[in-house]
This record gives sequence, structure tokens and C-alpha cells, in this order.
Amino acid sequence: MSNVIVCFKWVKAEDDLRIDPATLAVDLSKAKGKISDYDRNAIEAARIASESAGSETIALTFGSNDAKTALKDALSRGPKQAFWVNDVSAENADGFVTANMLAAAIRKIGSYSLIVCGEGAADTYAHQVGPRIGALLDIPVISFVKEMRIEGSRLYAVRKLEDSLEQVEADLPAVVTVLPEINPAPIPGLKAVLEGGKKPVTEFKIQDLDLEDGDTSRKTDVVSFKGCSMSRKKILINEGDAKEKVTALVAALKKEGVL
Amino acid sequence: MAGVYVYSDNTELCGELIALARTSEQEVCAVTMSDQQGSELAKYGPDTIFVLKGQNHAAESYSGAIAKLLTDQDASLFLAGATVRGRDIAAQVAAKMKAGLISEAGSVNFCNGKISAARYMYGGLTEQVEEGKGLTVITVPSGRYAAVNNDSVKSVVVSMTVDTDPRIKITGSSPIVKEGADLSKAGRIVCVGMGFDKKEDLVIAHKLAEALGAEVGCTRCIAEDRGWMPAETYIGISGAVVKPDLYIALGVSGQIQHTFGVRDSKIIVGVNNNEKATIFGVSDYGIVGDLYEIAPLLADAIKNI
Ligand SMILES: Cc1cc2nc3c(=O)[nH]c(=O)nc-3n(C[C@H](O)[C@H](O)[C@H](O)COP(=O)(O)OP(=O)(O)OC[C@H]3O[C@@H](n4cnc5c(N)ncnc54)[C@H](O)[C@@H]3O)c2cc1C
Repeated sequence: MSNVIVCFKWVKAEDDLRIDPATLAVDLSKAKGKISDYDRNAIEAARIASESAGSETIALTFGSNDAKTALKDALSRGPKQAFWVNDVSAENADGFVTANMLAAAIRKIGSYSLIVCGEGAADTYAHQVGPRIGALLDIPVISFVKEMRIEGSRLYAVRKLEDSLEQVEADLPAVVTVLPEINPAPIPGLKAVLEGGKKPVTEFKIQDLDLEDGDTSRKTDVVSFKGCSMSRKKILINEGDAKEKVTALVAALKKEGVL
Repeated sequence: MAGVYVYSDNTELCGELIALARTSEQEVCAVTMSDQQGSELAKYGPDTIFVLKGQNHAAESYSGAIAKLLTDQDASLFLAGATVRGRDIAAQVAAKMKAGLISEAGSVNFCNGKISAARYMYGGLTEQVEEGKGLTVITVPSGRYAAVNNDSVKSVVVSMTVDTDPRIKITGSSPIVKEGADLSKAGRIVCVGMGFDKKEDLVIAHKLAEALGAEVGCTRCIAEDRGWMPAETYIGISGAVVKPDLYIALGVSGQIQHTFGVRDSKIIVGVNNNEKATIFGVSDYGIVGDLYEIAPLLADAIKNI
């Protein structure tokens, strides 16, 4: 079986977002990057799939210069090499642009039997890039997968719907989007981290890719982007022993009329 | 026929989309893959119901046929219900049509011939409003709009044979047995977080819930990673959205993806042994302490009221 390609996104850590309580303006400038949470499970799922099929895992991302750290992190999680479409437009790309870039990069990589994507990204959680890639490459898509196994050139998957589990199969090559519960995402050990730093990374620029006019511009305009306010009383009961704290809480809840 | 096209495998949600599509003052066309759903949709009064008939019964295998229909009919907008199938189909249709897709829109507005939609980002910390250019695809979750029965429109039914993608095959399906309570209607909720060490300890949460007359919910990790509670009892952006009068989080860190689902609660209480836990920033009352000690004391205190 040929390569398993796992797509991952480098996102801003939501814990580092600063929201101005008065204006609700969002400051992303101090936010550190991270591999989107569920993409870490996806990387591990790809590693397991390629191990079982005796093939190689390749990590692929579309990101700006910022994503450089991401590559090392991703490679320390098992993939043998990484490809990086490096363009600043990644910072405000929509699903249309991202899928175009990734699909073009996958075509350039050429040999693949399975594309693995996370269910949704931690920042946008838009659930669209995986199925879009399948449509662009004209290969079958199985989304929201909770279990999968490869036998020969066929993929068997269990998808999770609102109220049922569905057994689905398709011939490879195919795209899967995986749920985080497909497998845990182990934290790489020191040795893996050191090895990750030595693995090969191939960088693509947009002009290296076979794209059509318009493929690199967003299809929706962002009209506004602001913080949501969640203002709460934030009263911390920290005085006294456990019993006293509980008594204070019960008194407060009674006063609120919720007991 | 130009207009707004709607699809959802969930008939009620499709009714909600039809009501939303009506606000566009354009033609409203529903797309379905079965005669049965087609007849069920008639009560919502779309102008036209397109019944697509193909060989493959997997709804996702119709995305090429839907894209072709939208192109042939010169549709202005495709609204899909944000279910698992709807998200998949919407994304594939958008890709095939080189269209933008605004996912999980909380609200959709038609104004001066333009279409805009608001959606949450960063797990619900921020909200973004996007405006479509040209044909746009939007997915909308259940419950954002009310379905309206509309007998005044007699829907025209158009059946057509279409090509479906033969490559994906559904070979079986097993229902997920819902064991958990319907949290969306609960007046009080006790929430179990990863602060619980083992499954047997959940009895502590159940005892507190019993004293309060509350339902028990959990975080995603408890349901999906640990498998200690049914999936329908986890609360958050990808789970249940609740609005009880009282929500008590036991051993919950308070990450936005979870607290998104409780932000409409009247009073939020956090119990966490880490003084710096995020939950305290989004709670009305917080107790810094060990849930193993606090929860039983709280249950006793409530019983004694
Ligand atoms: C795209 C995306 C979507 C997500 N959707 C959801 C969602 O819908 N719902 C959801 O819940 N999560 C969701 N998550 C996961 C979410 O980010 C958090 O990981 C999760 O909510 C954390 O669960 P937790 O608070 O139970 O566990 P942890 O974060 O591990 O927190 C456990 C807490 O327990 C405290 N604790 C430990 N021992 C004790 C004790 N003895 N007494 C008191 N306190 C104790 C600790 O201090 C800690 O704060 C999503 C994540 C992503 C990336």
C-alpha cells in the first residue's frame, strides 16, 4: 500500500486569546501555536493505519512561517516526512482555499492510498476540509470515523451519526475524517522529539502547485470577528474548611433562588 | 429555478431550513432522496420538492447530483442541516461548485441581496460574521429556527433519476441506544469532569444529583475517552447545549469547548481543587477544594434544607 497522508493544522491556542471586555476586540498576537487538538489524534490514526498496512505516513500542512514549529511537533508523532505549503495566506484562509492547497499538494506528492484529516479544527471547527479534499481529488470520503481498518486495498470504517453507528466501506485511495475517540494521541517522548527534528521536510510555495485562477482567494468575506462575553459573578469561596465552604455556597444558592 | 435550496436528512431540521429560506423572499426548493421524506416535507410548504433517485442509498453519494442540480437550476444558496451527513454533503457540494461554505451558522441574514451568517470560532470564545460571494453553502444546526407548517403553498414535486457515487457502500447500521437523560430540558445539572479518578466514584455525582433533583451530565473526555457515561450526556460545543437554573461542575477544568454548552445557565458553580482552574473564571460561585470531600458535604447540606 502506498502512503498515508495526514493533514494537520497549526492553530492559535484558544487559552491565549485576549478579549477586551469593553469592546470585545480579540487580540491573537500573544497566542502561541499548537497542532489542532483533534489533528493529533488524526496523526496517530494515520500512523497506526500505515503501520498495519506496512506503508509510510506523511504529514502535510498549509501554514505560514509560523507553522515551522508545527512540523517538528508533527514529525515527533511518527510520520516519516512532512510537506509544508508555506504561504502567509494560510492565516486567513477559508475551507475553500485550504482544501485547494492541500489537494494540490497531495497531487504533487503523487502516491497515496489514504488521506486522514481530523473531524474539525480547534479554531474554526468547520468540518469541511476533509470532505472537500475528497471531492477535489475525486476519491471517496468517509467522515466522522470512529474506527477503521484496512484490508488489502479496501477501507472498512465505523462512522458515528447522531443516533447510530454506521459500517461503511470504500476502495482506496480514500479520505477519512476521524473523531478524536478513534485513538488517543500520545505525547511524544524525548527521543521521538529529537528524531522528529531530524526528519525531512519538503516546502512548497504556492507557485510550485498546480492551481487554477481564484483557487487562492477566500469565497466568503469576514465582516466581523469579536469575542463573546460570558460574564459571571466569579465569587470564589476559599475561606474556612470544606464544611464552611459548603455552608456558604448553600446560603448563596438559596439567595439566588436556585435551591 | 433560481432560489434557495435546502437539504437535511433530519426532516424536522429540513422544516427549520425551509422556514429560514422563506425569509430570503426567494423561491424555496427542498432536496430529498426519498419519496417518503418528500411527502413529509410538503407540510412545510417549500415551492418545489426535488426527489433525487439514485442507485446508492448512502446520502453522501448524492453530493455530485446535488451540485449538478444546483448548477442546472442556478441556485443562489444551498442550506444544509448541520448533521453528520449534512456537513459531509455540504462540504463536498461546496468543493464541487467552487463555493464558500459557512459551517454551523447560528444565524443567517438576507439583506440587500447579500447573505451573511454568524458562527462561533475558538470553541465559542469568539464569533465571526461572514458574507457569501456568489453561490454559497451554509450549514445550520438544529433548533436555531422554528419549523412552520405552511398549507398555503402547494409544493410541486419533481422526481428525477440521478447518478450517485457507487464507491462508498454502507454495509450496516446499529442504533446508539440513548441511555442518558435529556439534558436540554433539565432544570439542574451536576456535571462530571476528569477530576473523577474512576468510574465507581461517579456515585458521588449521582448522590448529589439525587439530593438536588438534578440530571447528571459530563465532559467530552468522560464520555468519549473514558467511556464512563453515554455520549449524549456530554455537554459542550460538540455535545449537548443546556440551560439549567443551576449547573454544578465537579472536577471540570472549564475549557471553552465545554463551557460553551452551559453559558445560558442561570447559575454556574465550579468545584475544583486547582485555584487557577479556568472554570472559576466562568462560574458564579466557585469552591476551591476536593470534589471527593465537597460533593458529599453539599449533598448532605441540601438534604437538610
Ligand atoms: C474542537 C473541540 C471540541 C470539543 N468539544 C467539547 C465538548 O463539546 N464538550 C467537552 O466537554 N469538551 C470538548 N472538548 C474538549 C475540551 O477542550 C476539554 O478537553 C474537556 O472539556 C476537558 O474535560 P475535563 O474538564 O473533564 O477534564 P480536564 O481538563 O482534565 O480537567 C479536570 C479538572 O479536574 C480538576 N480536578 C482533578 N482532581 C480533582 C479533585 N479531586 N477535586 C476537584 N477537582 C479536581 C483538575 O484541576 C482539572 O481542572 C473539545 C475540544 C476540541 C478541540
